[in-house]
Amino acid sequence: MKVIEVRNLNVMRNGRLVIRNANFEINKGDYVGIIGPNGGGKTTLLLTILGQLPRLSGTIKLFEKDIEEFNEWEKIAFIPQDAINFDNNFPITVKEFVSLGRLGKNKIGRRLNKEDWEEVNKALEFMGISDIANKRIGEISIGQKQRMFLAMALVRNPELIILDEPISNVDPITQEKFYKKLSDLNYKEGKTILVVSHDLSAVFCRMNKVICVNVDVNIAEIKENTDIQGILRKAYGEHFYFVFHKHECKGEFEND
Amino acid sequence: MIELLSYQFFQNAIIGGCLIGIICSWIGLFLVLRRQVMIVDGAAHTAFGGLALGLLLGIDPFITALIIVIISILIINKMKAFTDSAIALMLAIGFSIGLIIISITRGFSIDIFSYLFGSILTISREELLIISIVTIFIAIFLLLFHKELIAITFNERNARIMGIPVDLISNIFNLIIAITIILSIKIVGVILIVALITIPALTALQIKTSFNNTVIISVLIGVIGVILGIFISALYKLATSGVIVFILVSIYAIVYLYSKIEIIKRRTS
Ligand SMILES: Nc1ncnc2c1ncn2[C@@H]1O[C@H](COP(=O)(O)OP(=O)(O)OP(=O)(O)O)[C@@H](O)[C@H]1O
Ligand SMILES: [Mg+2]
Repeated sequence: MKVIEVRNLNVMRNGRLVIRNANFEINKGDYVGIIGPNGGGKTTLLLTILGQLPRLSGTIKLFEKDIEEFNEWEKIAFIPQDAINFDNNFPITVKEFVSLGRLGKNKIGRRLNKEDWEEVNKALEFMGISDIANKRIGEISIGQKQRMFLAMALVRNPELIILDEPISNVDPITQEKFYKKLSDLNYKEGKTILVVSHDLSAVFCRMNKVICVNVDVNIAEIKENTDIQGILRKAYGEHFYFVFHKHECKGEFEND
Repeated sequence: MIELLSYQFFQNAIIGGCLIGIICSWIGLFLVLRRQVMIVDGAAHTAFGGLALGLLLGIDPFITALIIVIISILIINKMKAFTDSAIALMLAIGFSIGLIIISITRGFSIDIFSYLFGSILTISREELLIISIVTIFIAIFLLLFHKELIAITFNERNARIMGIPVDLISNIFNLIIAITIILSIKIVGVILIVALITIPALTALQIKTSFNNTVIISVLIGVIGVILGIFISALYKLATSGVIVFILVSIYAIVYLYSKIEIIKRRTS
């Protein structure tokens, strides 16, 4: 099944073309890294796919439905890049906040039941933030905030997970654990995952597709014989050089 | 003091005041967090124009006021990029129209005074019944959509992406604001409604606890302020709305000082 299908997409922001003629599809079970320079259009692309920015032209389908008709948002978990920039005075505890992840179209006006709270506790535990569950969200560190958003995404039990640089401030052990979790969700449960990341090793070791965004949008499958250098130069320019060998992934990523 | 309670009008005032106190301080928390309390102030002042219009046309002034308030909230929301200017504009238009109508007719100056500053001791049985029924409906909505309202207040765009029907819930919430303003006119009058909306929530926010506790504390403070205000104003023959607001501000000051002392204590220990 095609989870995301983008055809001839053009997006303007402030009178400038930011996404030019994007064409790609993401299938169920894909694990996709989105890379590209700052200002390249990664966030713009994601927000457009999620129906939050107007298109100049082109079509977007989510779960094989036109974005205009799509309404199964409970299937999607999204963490925006600016998620952690919230008002620190907002009166809510980490646990209350994570429980908001259980909200969705079909659950409107429903009270959370025991199962919901079990899921919340599991997610808190998994992200290692059980001990701060009753702290207010304005009183935790930035890395802890990111863990909290990740817990909120997990608690949705989504089919499609879209993360815009979700772990830039998370410590390496938790990053590794989170990538592992995403891999598990992807392998074992067939979840479709899109992650914006500047961690190229993580992208090429763990993921099966890469989307390079720099106004132009290019998608490639990551295989043994993929021309990684070529892909990266499309996004970062002709002089970009990144040494990468698939065998280096072993040990670095697969030891647990 | 106790014998006051045996009077029907006093019972009506206490019950009606408490119900309005609950609703104002509850929705007030969301408005304070959204930095939108001034919308209430602007809309409440246009209610004054609406009341005068109703009196002029011989229609129930609360109905014309409700319509005008809804329209002004819609306009304020339309001018999103310039919300504060929109509020100032609506406030000025609504109030000046009210003044013009009053100066044309001159006849109903006493009514106008009670609309501006409330007349809680004149709540009738029928009015109390209406306030009670509306309060129940509003409370059911707020309870049912509690988490959705938190999510929308926290981040509207992300709430949309989660599939929450943001527009529907926001529209109902705006309608509730309009109705609350109208119902509050009797209690505190158009000028001081914004205080009943803002101060309990601001006070509760000082306490820095969970969202649910913040709601409960805000509502408790609203109710305490109204009850104490009615009693004290009745005992000393003072303007009720003024006393209510004064007590709310006093509670705020006490909680503020207390929280500062707590911080200093923690630092020194
Ligand atoms: N709110 C905005 N209004 C107008 N233009 C914007 C806005 N946000 C971004 N842009 C423009 O759109 C282009 C793409 O920005 P975008 O945020 O999508 O890049 P990005 O790839 O996500 O960058 P980063 O790696 O820094 O997050 C940039 O040229 C930027 O100037
Ligand atoms: Mg970005």
